[in-house]
Amino acid sequence: MRTVNRIATLLLAVALLAGGTLVAVGALLAAAGHPGSPVRRWYATLTTTHWQDAPVRAVAAGVTLLGVVALVAQLRRWRPVRLRLAENDGWHWHRRSVERRLARAARTVPSVRRARVRVRPHGDMWRPRVTATGDPEARADVEFALRRELDRLAAPCRGPIEVRLLPTRRTT
Amino acid sequence: MSNAAHRLLWTVLALLLVAAGGVASAVGLGWLPGGGAPLLGAGPVTWWQAGTPWSALAVAVGGVLLALLGQRLLAAGLRAPGRLAGTLTHPGNGGGRTRVACEVLTGALERDLLRAQGVHRARVLLTGPVGQPDVWVEVRLAASADLGTTRAHVDAAVRRFAATLGCRPAHLDVTAVVDAAPH
Repeated sequence: MRTVNRIATLLLAVALLAGGTLVAVGALLAAAGHPGSPVRRWYATLTTTHWQDAPVRAVAAGVTLLGVVALVAQLRRWRPVRLRLAENDGWHWHRRSVERRLARAARTVPSVRRARVRVRPHGDMWRPRVTATGDPEARADVEFALRRELDRLAAPCRGPIEVRLLPTRRTT
Repeated sequence: MSNAAHRLLWTVLALLLVAAGGVASAVGLGWLPGGGAPLLGAGPVTWWQAGTPWSALAVAVGGVLLALLGQRLLAAGLRAPGRLAGTLTHPGNGGGRTRVACEVLTGALERDLLRAQGVHRARVLLTGPVGQPDVWVEVRLAASADLGTTRAHVDAAVRRFAATLGCRPAHLDVTAVVDAAPH
């Protein structure tokens, strides 16, 4: 979402720059009495189009929908970029890199084929959640592998680790 | 611009979009009066016609202001948030003073950080006042890197940096990116 916001801001800035320049040039041409000024066309369009016209209603509905989507996207809770370490000394781990590393640790368990790890902060603690494909009996092994890796990272994670092991589909 | 600034900007814009779109939809659907009127009402038309050519010039000024706003937003969007750029000036005991480009100092700290075993990449950002800057460090670590050793090295490097610069960092913020696989 952060990247989307930054790209959207850049697009908005370019649109304002281009639109503002166009309006300024058009208005200056109109002030000079130039026949090719776009302001005359805009004037004609805006004075002959009514609020009840179907295209206006469609644009209004689109703007409302866009606003609602943008508002929901901004107000919902975002996943943090970084995870704080135990001591409050300014050290953080980059969340995605930790998730990739934990997923790799989960895949070192022999019966596990694919693994995806999500880490959420809960107060000062981390809450890892593993979704993996493999033998459901290997749950304890996966948890052990993750705990060892979390210890190496000095991660504040003393609570339970949520492990979902989905059995491998067999092709006949 | 920081992520929080972008989020605030788009929250405000989203509220404006919802308000404008909602009112326009209500008028268009006949829930509010004025559905049969043209988009440009009689008031602005009268103003435009009576004020010619000054009304056109006023619109041109409005367009220039919009373009300037876009230019400022573009510049702010492309700039790193709160970066302490330019030249740091340190007054001496006598009449002289020392001036050092900020990039030289951050580059020196980055090179010092890269001396630690297992650190692939280092990036340093300084913000805030010169005497008490906030030091933002991002280090990329190899999978085999030992966190304790790296932390000790980073802390020592920042202490050396502060002693060289003659400052007291107000805040040290370190983000470590760890490789998944050993090299």
